[in-house]
Amino acid sequence: MIQFTKEQRFIVTGASSGIGEAVALRLNELGASVIAIARNEERLLGMKTKSKHPENIYIEIKDLAENIEQLPSYVKELKDKYGKFQGLANCAGVGRILPLKSIDFTEMQKLFNINYFSPVFMTKGFTDKRNNNGKGSSVVCIASSGGVHCDPGMTEYAGSKGALIATMQAIARELAPSYIRVNCVSPSLISTNMADEISRSFAEGKYPMGIGKPQYVANTVVFLLSKQAEWITAQNYIIDCGAI
Amino acid sequence: MNKEEFLTNMQDVLQTEEDLNYETVLEDLDEWDSLSVMATMAFLEKNFNIKTTMKDYKEMKTIGDIAKKAGL
Repeated sequence: MIQFTKEQRFIVTGASSGIGEAVALRLNELGASVIAIARNEERLLGMKTKSKHPENIYIEIKDLAENIEQLPSYVKELKDKYGKFQGLANCAGVGRILPLKSIDFTEMQKLFNINYFSPVFMTKGFTDKRNNNGKGSSVVCIASSGGVHCDPGMTEYAGSKGALIATMQAIARELAPSYIRVNCVSPSLISTNMADEISRSFAEGKYPMGIGKPQYVANTVVFLLSKQAEWITAQNYIIDCGAI
Repeated sequence: MNKEEFLTNMQDVLQTEEDLNYETVLEDLDEWDSLSVMATMAFLEKNFNIKTTMKDYKEMKTIGDIAKKAGL
């Protein structure tokens, strides 16, 4: 049984909807304090009203795709405000299916900012030992099964997630001697706002257990952030009901 | 970058909670490992345009020795 205390603080990005929301709610349900980051205050407050212990949810409004260079200082500011962190769940991300002939460099860079550079620099801030609880602290990034096995039209998205998986593995190996763990969770199609009609049409008939739910992913994320996963690092867990 | 700023920056390069001064012995810092040497190399090159090699660090004993290399 996984349990946390309210002194164990977790940063969850993209916490206002989808997988990020599910991760924030699950951590909170199990007793942890959650610093929930997203752009939309209204939706963050909506998430907070659904939580079991709303007094342990702290809302931070921030666009993580802006001033990425400053994200490590931002994590430090959060540490000064709340105290050191036990874990970081990088859940913010955007999805897009677009054929190669339609991709545009500026738009692709924007997608990489939120899917790749932002989690990398949040991780840089979190893993600064002045900001975390030391041994046993842990990072989980939401990547995608598309980062390992992709479909047509995923030039941008698969590239960003594949890069994230590789980078997190390198970071994990760098930090293993400090007992700080870093893992990725790679879901396939999950029923969220991000999964638009186009993605759903691609998915037809592909999932023997049906399209996934955010809670399925959240359970794995929470496990990896917990002490139960203490010897697990540098891994990428694919959650896709065997569809690949 | 003045001498004071150099110390603050080195604290960030090493991600250490220790208060650094020019006499701080590198070997006494838990954070002083091969990756920290690489981080220091990158820091000196980016901020002072000074290239260092692993060999240089074998001769450096204190934070002050790194500052000297930076021309401070």
